[in-house]
Amino acid sequence: MTESFSSNRSYKSQDGNGTGSMPHPWGEMDGIYPDSFSGIVFALEGTEGATVLLNGPTGCKYYHSSLSDSQTFRMFDFDPLSFPMKWYFGQPRVPSTYLDNADYVYGGEAKLAEALDFFKAQDSIGLICIVNTPGAALIGDDLDRIASAHLGDKPFLTVETPGYSTDICHGFEIGARALVDALGADAPLQPEKAGDRPRVNLLGLPLYSRNYTGDVAEMRRLCELCGLEVGCVLGGGSGLDDVAHIGDACLNIVVHPEYGMESAAYLHERYGTAYYVCDGAPVGFAATERAFTDIARHAGGDAAPLLDQSKKARMRSFSYISRLNSLTGLPKGVPFAAEGSFSELYAITSFLTDYLALVPVALWPVYEQSDCCAAKLNELLEQLGAREALGRDPLSCEPELVFASGSTIARLQLEGREFAGIETMLPTLGYLDVVPKTFLGINGTLQLVEMVLNGLKF
Amino acid sequence: MNRLAVYGKGGIGKSTISANLSAALSEAGRHVLQVGCDPKHDSTKLLLKGKRLTCVLDYLRDTLPGDYRLGDVLEEGFAGVGCVEAGGPKPGVGCAGRGIISTFEMLEQFRLSDAYDTILYDVLGDVVCGGFAVPIRREYADTILIVTSGEFMALYAANNILRGVRTYDGAEGKRIAGLVCNCRNVTDEIERVERFAAAVGLPIFATVPRSNSFAEAEGANMTVMEHGQDGELIELFRDMAKRLAEGAPLHPANPLSDEELESVVLDSAAPHAGTDGASCGSVELQSEGTCDPDPTSQETTAEAEFGDSIDLTDPNRYLSKTVARGDPLHGCAFNGAIATALHLTDAVVLAHAPTSCANLSLQAFTSSGRRRLFERGALLPASLAPNFACTHMDEHDMVFGGTGTLIDAVRAQQQKGPRAIIVVSSCPAGIIGDDVDRVLDLSTPECPVLALKTDGNMTGDYLQGQLSASLAIARAFIKHDLPKQEKTVNIFAEKMVVTNTQANFDTVAGFLERMGVRVVSRFLYQATTEQLANFTSAQLCLPAYTDYTASLLGQLFSEEFGMELFDRGFPIGYDETVEWLRAVGAAFGESETAERIISEQEQTYRAQIDALRPSLAGKKLMVVSYNCELDWILRTALDLDMEIVRVGLLDYSQDVGFRTRIEADLPVVENYAREARGDEIAALAPDVLLTNYASPLGDSVPVADTIPMCPDVGFGSAITLARRWAQLLKTNAKGSWKDDGILFEQSFL
Repeated sequence: MTESFSSNRSYKSQDGNGTGSMPHPWGEMDGIYPDSFSGIVFALEGTEGATVLLNGPTGCKYYHSSLSDSQTFRMFDFDPLSFPMKWYFGQPRVPSTYLDNADYVYGGEAKLAEALDFFKAQDSIGLICIVNTPGAALIGDDLDRIASAHLGDKPFLTVETPGYSTDICHGFEIGARALVDALGADAPLQPEKAGDRPRVNLLGLPLYSRNYTGDVAEMRRLCELCGLEVGCVLGGGSGLDDVAHIGDACLNIVVHPEYGMESAAYLHERYGTAYYVCDGAPVGFAATERAFTDIARHAGGDAAPLLDQSKKARMRSFSYISRLNSLTGLPKGVPFAAEGSFSELYAITSFLTDYLALVPVALWPVYEQSDCCAAKLNELLEQLGAREALGRDPLSCEPELVFASGSTIARLQLEGREFAGIETMLPTLGYLDVVPKTFLGINGTLQLVEMVLNGLKF
Repeated sequence: MNRLAVYGKGGIGKSTISANLSAALSEAGRHVLQVGCDPKHDSTKLLLKGKRLTCVLDYLRDTLPGDYRLGDVLEEGFAGVGCVEAGGPKPGVGCAGRGIISTFEMLEQFRLSDAYDTILYDVLGDVVCGGFAVPIRREYADTILIVTSGEFMALYAANNILRGVRTYDGAEGKRIAGLVCNCRNVTDEIERVERFAAAVGLPIFATVPRSNSFAEAEGANMTVMEHGQDGELIELFRDMAKRLAEGAPLHPANPLSDEELESVVLDSAAPHAGTDGASCGSVELQSEGTCDPDPTSQETTAEAEFGDSIDLTDPNRYLSKTVARGDPLHGCAFNGAIATALHLTDAVVLAHAPTSCANLSLQAFTSSGRRRLFERGALLPASLAPNFACTHMDEHDMVFGGTGTLIDAVRAQQQKGPRAIIVVSSCPAGIIGDDVDRVLDLSTPECPVLALKTDGNMTGDYLQGQLSASLAIARAFIKHDLPKQEKTVNIFAEKMVVTNTQANFDTVAGFLERMGVRVVSRFLYQATTEQLANFTSAQLCLPAYTDYTASLLGQLFSEEFGMELFDRGFPIGYDETVEWLRAVGAAFGESETAERIISEQEQTYRAQIDALRPSLAGKKLMVVSYNCELDWILRTALDLDMEIVRVGLLDYSQDVGFRTRIEADLPVVENYAREARGDEIAALAPDVLLTNYASPLGDSVPVADTIPMCPDVGFGSAITLARRWAQLLKTNAKGSWKDDGILFEQSFL
C-alpha cells in the first residue's frame, strides 16, 4: 500500500530513473506551507453563511476557493458560467476585488465599493468577510470605512493585515477571533438552565485538515455520547447564529491546541468560559478516553457510554492486531515516520508507540512557530530513547510507515523508497472521501489501526 | 554625468532648481529629459510655461497597453527639455512609491534612456520607501545632488537620503556630487549646512541665494533661465550645469546617526532655530493641482518626434491577451512565471514573496503531478518535486525592505549548485520597491541569476507571467545560430498544468521517432539548461498549440533566434493527424513513412465511423466551448452524418478567434453569451450537448458530455467521445443520482 484508501499500485518513474534533484523529501519545498493569510481565509470560509471577499488580485483567490469548496461543498454546480466572472472568476467561492497595478497606486476603494454594492444584495450571504491580501494590506485602504459606507446594516467584518509568513495556525486564530468580535454577543444569550444538556463549543478544528468533515463529525458524536450538546464549532462548519451564541457554552474544548488556544483564552476573557485543552488531538483509545472523561467531568456530562463504546472498539481492534501478531509478531517494532505540527506529532507518536509498539525513526514538525506540545514531544522521545528521530531525514532511515501529506508521500515515492504512506495532512494525492474519515476519537483510532495493519509488510 | 537625481525634503525647492538646471544643461548642449517623481506633478511646470502634463500613472490606468504612445505623456519644454511627470495618488490613499516604480518601468519600455543623453530625476523629499528610492538605484542615477537648507528637518531629510544611498552603494560607492544649499534665510544657515557637509564628508556643490527672482519668474510661469532677468542666478545654474556635465567629483554616502546629526546641526544642543517667514520668497511655491485624466486633451507635440522611433508597440513587447485588452487579470504574472520557470529542471526558482504567495504557486504546479501519481502511478519529477524555494518575506521585510533577505537567499541557493537561479517577485516585493535586480550581481558563468520582476500581478496576469518568463529564459539560455542537426525539432507551447501534456508529447514523439526525427528541446516543459542551449540546432520548431500564447512564442523564436516554425499544432482527431503527419513527413523527407502510419490508422478510423454512424447519423450536436479549435470533433461529427446545430464560442483569455479548415457552413457564434444557453437548447433541441463543464442545463438533453480544454492528440481523439454518445443514446441512462439534487438543495442551500 502506498497511500491512504487506495488499492495497491505499482509505481514507476516517468523517466525510469527517478530524480536526484529533490532538495528534501519532507513536506513542502523549503518550508512552503499555507501561512496565516490562508489560515484567516479558511477560518472564515469554514463558517456557514459567511463569504470571504478578498480585497486583492485574483491570483490569491483560486487556491482558496478550490480548497474551501473541496472541503465543504455548498453547491453542486461547478460550471464556471454559473458564477459571475467579475469577482468570482468562474469559481464558486472566495470572490475577489481583482486589484491590479493601478489600484495599488491609487488605492482600491472603487473596486471594493463596487463589489460590496453587489454582495450587499446577495441574501444568501449572511456575513461578508473582507480580507486584505498580502499586497493590498500594504497600501492601507480603510476597509472598515468603505464597508460601513456601502454595506449599511449588512453584517461584515474586515481583516486588514493577513500576516506575512507567520503560520496557518496563527491565521486561523485571527480569523476565529474576528468572527467572535463580529458576531458574538456581549454576554451569554441563553445561559444554561436546570435540565438543559450542558453545552460545549469545539475550538481548533480547522477547515485545512486532511479529514476535516470526519474530524468534526467524530468530535460532535463523542460529545453527544457524553450527554453534551455541541454549540459552536468555531471556524469549523458552524453557522453565524452558533457563533453569536458562543458565549452560552459552559466549556470550550480545544481539539488542536495550535489552532484554538488563543481563541479559548479570548473567550475565557470575554465570557468567562472555562476551557479544556486536549493533550494533543485525541488520537488513540487511551487519549480519547482520558480527554472525554475529563471533559465530561468539567462540563457535567457522563463519559460512561463513551467508555463503553471505546471498550467495544478496543475489542475489535484487538482481534485484528492479535491475529496478525500471532502470525508475524507485528506490528511491534515497525519503524515509522511522521509529519505534522508538534501537537499532531505528539498525539500520533504517543498512540503508535504506546498502543502498537511502533518505533519512531523520523518525525518532521511543521508550523514550528506554533510549538505547543513541543516540550511534551521531546520528553516522550527521550523516554522512548528516540530523540534523534525529531527532524531526521527519512531518507537516512528506512520507515515502513509514513504518516504525512500527499506531497511528502509522493516525493518519497519519487526517491524509489518502499513504504506504506498514510495521508494525515493536506495536500492529498487526490483520493475523494465519500465516506468521511477521521483519525480522531474512537472511530478514528479504528481507522488508523486499519490503515497501519494494511500498510505492514509481512 | 548622464543621470542626475535631485533629492531633498518636500518644499525645499528641488523642482525649481531641477528645472533651472535642466534648462542650463540643455543650453550647454545636452539633450535633457526631466522626470518629475512627485505625486504633486509640478516639477516641469516652469519648463512648460505653466502647462500641466498628463501624468504617467493616470495614463497607465486609463489607457490600454497597446495604445501607449510616448507623445501622450512626454512634451518638449523650454530649451528642448523633455518633460515627464509621474503623478500619483491623492494624499492618504494608495502607494505613491509604487507609482514611481510603475513610471520607471514604463519609461524603460519606451527606451527613453536611448533617446536622451541626460536625464534629471526630481524626486520627492525624503527616501521614505523603496519606491522613492528607485531613482538612486544604480541603473537610474549615476550622480546625486541633495538639496537642503539650514533648517533641521531639511538636514534630517538630507541625512536620510544619504542613508538610502548607503543602502544601495555601501561604503565604497561614490555617486554624490554634493549638497545644494537653497537658502531660506534661517539663522546661522550657511554654518549649519557647512557643519553638516563636513560631518558627512560632502562638498557644498552650490549655494542658491534667496531671491525674489524665483518668485518673479514663477509668476511668469518660467524658469529663471528662461525669464532672463537675474544674471547672477543664471550664471550660477550655468556653472552648476558645466561642472556636472564635465563630471564633478563624486563622493560616498556617510550618513550620521540621529544623535550625531542633532549634535552637528544644532551645535551642542542649541535650540532649534526658527525661520524668518518660512517659505515666503523661497523657491518652491508651486500650486497644488490635479492631473488631467483625459490624455486626449493634451497636445502631443512630442509624438511626432518620438512616437514612431521609440514606441511601446515595438516587436519586443509580448503582451497577454488580457493585458493587451485591459480586461480584469486572471491570475498573476508571479504564478505564471513560476509555473514556466519550474520546468527548467536544473535551475532553482526562488520566489521573493511571503510564504502564502509561494504556496499558492506550489500547489497549482504540483497538484497535477500528485493527481497523475494517484490515478495511474506516474512519477513526474518536475511536477512532484520542483526545485522551488521562497524568501519567506515577513513583517520586518515589509517595513524595512526585503532586498537583503533576497540576496541572502540567492547566496544560500548557490551553495546547492544549481545550474541557474531564477528569482520571481511577488506583489509585496513590488509594492515596497525591493531592488530585485541586485541579484544580477551574483550571477556567475556556472550559475546565472535571472530576475523576473513580475511583482505579483502588477505586470499582468498568469499568461503575461508565462510570456515574461519564457522571454527571459529564452534570451538567457538559448544560444544563437548553432549548426543545424539533421532531422531534429523543438517542441514549444505545451500546456504546463494539464494532466495529458506528457501523454500528448509521447504520442507525437512516437510519430516523430518512426520518421527518424529527434526532439532537441521542449520549451518549456521539463527541459534542462543544456537542452535550451542547443535549441537553435534543431531544424524546425513544432508548436503543441496554435493559440495566442503559442503565436507569441513562435514570434520570439522566429524573429530573435531565426528558427523555422511549423504552422500546425499537435494534431487532434483523424483529419488533423493525417495532415500533420503528411506535413511533417514532407518537411523531413519522410513522406513514405507518414503515409505508412496513416494507412495503418485509416482503416481503423473508417471502420469505427461505420460502426457508430447508425447510432449517430442525423443526431443534432450543439457545442458551447472555450476551445477555438474544434475541427477534431466537428469533422468526426460530420463523418458520422450528425447535424451540427450550434457552435458557441465563449470568450477566453488564452485564445483568440475560431479557426477551422472545414469548408461546410457551420453555425458558429463567437463571444457566445452564457445566458443564451438555456433558450438555445430549448429552441435547437440538440441530441448531444458538448460543453467544457457539465451544467444542470444538460439535464434536458439526451446526451450532455464534456469536451476537454486540452484534448488528447492523435487519430482517435473524437472517436472516444462519439462512442460514448452512441452508447448513452442507446441506454438513455442519466443516472438516478441526479434526482437527489433536491435533497442537496434542501440540506445545504
